[in-house]
Amino acid sequence: MSHLHGQDPRVVIARRCARELRAGEVVNLGIGIPTMTANYLPPGVQVIFHSENGCFGFGPRPGTLEADSDVSNASTEPVTLMPGAAIMDLTTSLGAMRNGYIATSVLGGLEVDQEGNLANWASKRNGKWWPGIGGAMDLCYGVPRIIAALQHTDKHGHSKVKKRTHLPLTGKGCVKVIVTDHAVFDVTADGLVLREAYPGLTVENIRAVTEADFEVSPNFGPMDI
Amino acid sequence: MNIDKVMSIDAAMAHVAPGTRVMMGEFVGAGEPAKCIEWLLEHGIDRLTLIANTSGLRGDFLMGKLFAAGLIEEYIGTHGATSNEASDAYLSGKLKVRQFFPMGPWAAEVGAGGHGLGGALVPVGVGILDQEGLFPDLEEPKRTIEIKGKTYLVEEALTADVSIIRGYRADPLGNVEFRYMATQNQKDLAMAGKFTIAEVNEIVPVGAIPPERVGCPGPFVNAVVQGYSLADQHTLYRDHWIKLGRLPKLPEGETP
Repeated sequence: MSHLHGQDPRVVIARRCARELRAGEVVNLGIGIPTMTANYLPPGVQVIFHSENGCFGFGPRPGTLEADSDVSNASTEPVTLMPGAAIMDLTTSLGAMRNGYIATSVLGGLEVDQEGNLANWASKRNGKWWPGIGGAMDLCYGVPRIIAALQHTDKHGHSKVKKRTHLPLTGKGCVKVIVTDHAVFDVTADGLVLREAYPGLTVENIRAVTEADFEVSPNFGPMDI
Repeated sequence: MNIDKVMSIDAAMAHVAPGTRVMMGEFVGAGEPAKCIEWLLEHGIDRLTLIANTSGLRGDFLMGKLFAAGLIEEYIGTHGATSNEASDAYLSGKLKVRQFFPMGPWAAEVGAGGHGLGGALVPVGVGILDQEGLFPDLEEPKRTIEIKGKTYLVEEALTADVSIIRGYRADPLGNVEFRYMATQNQKDLAMAGKFTIAEVNEIVPVGAIPPERVGCPGPFVNAVVQGYSLADQHTLYRDHWIKLGRLPKLPEGETP
């Protein structure tokens, strides 16, 4: 029986990630769990969502008859444009990502390690690196605050929070916060610091499922969700 | 004689033959030149090198179908699995991919190709994408250069024999207006092709597009072809979004 008692781990991660977003900042959400984060923004927190296909200020999914074939997000899901939205071309959008105009990005991960390295673009399939990079490396290069959002363990129960990543990297030392279905870590110059554990879990429970070394924050407490 | 670049899709696409190096505007299926893609499928033009941002949208949709039909020999872009069709072709060894580029560098390489530059100096992926053995099919390892103490990858410009872009409106001079997130880097792709085809929702008289709304100036375009109307294009995408579960189904009798 999972510690989540039947809750979807992806929803737990997305809900917790949403609480990391700061009012007024420009945010880019990666595909998968990160995209779900937008559904759980705390009331009163306004952020500007950036989409790498060329938009600041997109909003929720439209109704079927309102969906516009030229208005979609980076996964080509239909979206709407909020009042004050701004369109830009692709090179401008990727330039904004590299040059610090996006404050925070939430990205999924295959592996993350205690030095803040993130691997999320490639694993070996049929002897080839697959599936591809997309915009993730530009985000890891230029966004000051990368939040890695991933399940704590893989389907075999192995920790995805590693001492050292083994897969090709998406970014080096770019991750500042790690949010999983078990815990929240800050990545500091001295390594990982455990800030929160899912309610009911102890530090020892977290150590048992985590390959990476970590210290425990003096403010350690239950996950704020 | 007045300039008139409007022509049939047959006449424009006659510039694409087996083995042609083609650039195509798109972003995971959005902004794709649907009618020109359908023409390629119908005529079975194969051995193409396709330069496109991603490998399309999954689920038997527009550009992704080119991979399923085996028309693409080599893909040059950022992602090999946004469409399951490209992913299958790549993993089964039918599609050549020498390397994946991050999206910013890829867009900068197309921009360089369009703007007459030799390439782009790219800080993204330094120490990662230049690691030996990562992309064994590359003819030579990635070069690096130091500028003011910082290391950059030297990435060559990308150009094509034929560029196919998709806009909203165009006039006979070839001026193209774009809509929303279909703007993408369509203009850069147009500039990087020796022969450029603009497929648009609507062909309008010269002067109908306000000069400040021209997203791709006419001199970068050789052919203007009529694509789906905007209304039909909305239907095409809404139908596919419903199929993928990204939009709710409509009640019986209503059409998207």
